[in-house]
Amino acid sequence: MQTQCTWSCRHEVLGALRSKSSSLFASSRHLLRQYAAGSRSRRRRPPSFAAMSTVATEKEASPNQKESSGKPLQVAKRLEKFKTTIFTQMSMLAIKHGAINLGQGFPNFDGPEFVKEAAIQAIRDGKNQYARGYGIPDLNSAIAARFKKDSGLVVDPETEVTVTSGCTEAIAATILGLINPGDEVILFAPFYDSYEATLSMAGADIKCITLRPPDFAIPINELRSAISKKTRAILMNTPHNPTGKMFTREELNEIASLCIENDVLVFSDEVYDKLAFEMEHISVASLPGMYERTVTLNSLGKTFSLTGWKIGWAIAPPHLTWGVRQAHSFLTFATNTPGQWAAAAALRTPDSYYVELKRDYAAKKQILVEGLKEAGFKVFPSSGTYFVVVDHTPFGLENDIAFCEFLIKEVGVVAIPTSVFYLNPEEGKNIVRFTFCKDEGTLRSAVERMKAKLKKT
Amino acid sequence: MSTHLFDGLPLRVGRHVQGICDRLAKIVKGTHGLEVDPLTDIAICCGQTEAFAAAIFSIIDPGDEVILFDPSYETYGASISIAGGVPVFVALDPPYWTLDDGKFLKSFTSRTKAVVLNSPHNPTGKVFSKDELEVIATACCTNDCMVITDEVYEHITYDKTKHISLASLQGMQERTIITSSLSKTFSVTGWRIGWAIAPPAIASAIKNIHIRITDSAPAPFQEAALTALESQPQYFESLRQDYELRRDFLARILAEVGLRIRFKAQGSFFIFVEIPEECLLSDVDCVKKLIEEAGVVGVPGCGFFHSNKQVEVGADNFYGNRYIRFAFCKSDDTLAAAAQNLREFVNRAGAFDRSEGVKC
Repeated sequence: MQTQCTWSCRHEVLGALRSKSSSLFASSRHLLRQYAAGSRSRRRRPPSFAAMSTVATEKEASPNQKESSGKPLQVAKRLEKFKTTIFTQMSMLAIKHGAINLGQGFPNFDGPEFVKEAAIQAIRDGKNQYARGYGIPDLNSAIAARFKKDSGLVVDPETEVTVTSGCTEAIAATILGLINPGDEVILFAPFYDSYEATLSMAGADIKCITLRPPDFAIPINELRSAISKKTRAILMNTPHNPTGKMFTREELNEIASLCIENDVLVFSDEVYDKLAFEMEHISVASLPGMYERTVTLNSLGKTFSLTGWKIGWAIAPPHLTWGVRQAHSFLTFATNTPGQWAAAAALRTPDSYYVELKRDYAAKKQILVEGLKEAGFKVFPSSGTYFVVVDHTPFGLENDIAFCEFLIKEVGVVAIPTSVFYLNPEEGKNIVRFTFCKDEGTLRSAVERMKAKLKKT
Repeated sequence: MSTHLFDGLPLRVGRHVQGICDRLAKIVKGTHGLEVDPLTDIAICCGQTEAFAAAIFSIIDPGDEVILFDPSYETYGASISIAGGVPVFVALDPPYWTLDDGKFLKSFTSRTKAVVLNSPHNPTGKVFSKDELEVIATACCTNDCMVITDEVYEHITYDKTKHISLASLQGMQERTIITSSLSKTFSVTGWRIGWAIAPPAIASAIKNIHIRITDSAPAPFQEAALTALESQPQYFESLRQDYELRRDFLARILAEVGLRIRFKAQGSFFIFVEIPEECLLSDVDCVKKLIEEAGVVGVPGCGFFHSNKQVEVGADNFYGNRYIRFAFCKSDDTLAAAAQNLREFVNRAGAFDRSEGVKC
């Protein structure tokens, strides 16, 4: 039976004790008590937020006597941290110039027929109503089975797997479910841009460690100084978008020992785990002492070229899963049902699928990388994902955004400026990201354009 | 400008099918007289759930108060709390779930940022009347606060009751975020296609939040939404009629079981029944009894009540454990089977309103 809402009074259920490795949904109530209890008459501004836009609406006047201000009502202050427009500009420019798009991080080819058929069949079979909130049993089992094959870890699909609308939601639910305002979280720059925004939604205190070219290795000494008993979590991504770097076993061991020593959680975004070319992907959860403090995040989209289906998941021990599920239940409540049935079928695919996937992508990568080198870019080695980052400075443009605009207008190819992936944009100004998740024809055309137009300059 | 964003555009531009926005704009214009710009005023989300969560995150700062009508769908309060907001519950008065103007107006403070309005209403089936909407509108304009509506049952109303969108009242569109979805209208609750409609600055903030929560609603179902939203009036009329028949059928059955229905559902697909006074069982115990002995499931109403706590009002006035919600969004076969089970239950155990029958 699928009830639309739970029976238990959630407020009573939120009795979770404050401990570092348990869900801290209850701590938002602590925050409520702070504000509700004696602060009715004053508007408290957290010091990290500046006043928003041009007009501050002061609501101190007597409630029933205020006249309408006529000013646009204010959006929440958390949005101040949100950057948006660079990609909008790029997209308009790209369309205007008919540029070949190697910027967007999703394929221009379709997913496998058998997965699509499974979704169609699920729809025909009437599987169109709410799924169980944390995932249909079949998919949770398939995820657990796949995770066991890949990492060796045995997890309980009922208590340790949560299905979400894409890995994006898995990240959001993890952060909103397990991070309190003021918690310190460590990020590695460059990072997938939603990490920073989502952490700021949770009111986290972000500490950033920059990975630098040419190999984007983890600066271990910096990490050692950054991490302390105050740190709540590390958010990591391997294989890494945008650089293609894969965290090595040595690096993961280092992270693990620091996390264990300081009782820190790890949120590990592993969506590109099947696109590991130069080394084996290692799930940090599989290291000794790590499972109990790790949330492993993944999705269907990249592996099966169905990025629009929005099927993702979080794997974590029960005490962390609880927080993820709480947040998930009010973020989206449940994940689309037909897609889940199809995902279960997809995840049961034999290993040959993944072998072929890697082979296809390796061929595409070769086309792109060779082409970029010939065009004159300094290409950094990429071990995984379907991204490659390059140094564009040989072409004399002042920064990454200027270069990308030039590339669209004069060459007819789209790349992504990476400065948006850093807390300090200056750190990304020499680097742009290309993707090779495109059919070979598209890649060859793009490469030809770049060789033709860039080698001249 | 490409209308299908999956093929041409770099990441971080809201990935939605623009055609849905175009159709929604036409629909709200035709139904509610609202002028909405499909390019700037609409965010497509993973269900109304996500639209609501994104709406909350887009306007609620820590400490902001949000007024909700009790009983209420539980998720609203949770979303508000996680954004650091303070839910303030205003009880609708049983047995007809009337809005007490005084109680409502007194709940506004200098911290009130928004009111949440769910109409047609889950769990009671109430459809807020024009007069009630005027009261709400006036209060919101006077206090310069926002409204987030949940209108998912907008097409499921009975007995000629019309759903009126609060945003269509004077002074309201500029301060209202409308949320709704395909789910209940098209019986596809598992597809996760919903939306928020708001003035451009707010809609932009909602999109900004949405792309960090899920990035996009599922692509294939967005395409299907295009077709769904082309449905002709006949579709909605037959939806209403089908549900009205089911409502009446279930209401009769529940009355036979001795459960009390003083308030006839005007909308949604729920009947919120009262446990008769003679029966001393709580809602949870009644539901248990029905599951174990009749094989029929309802939802105890206590989960929907946040105010009217026993400690607040004393035993006499306490009704938080006197209601059960039944849904009739079920096939005819299911409803018939439920009827059969309940009749047998009554024959065996007696009805709830016969004190010598059920062991209350």
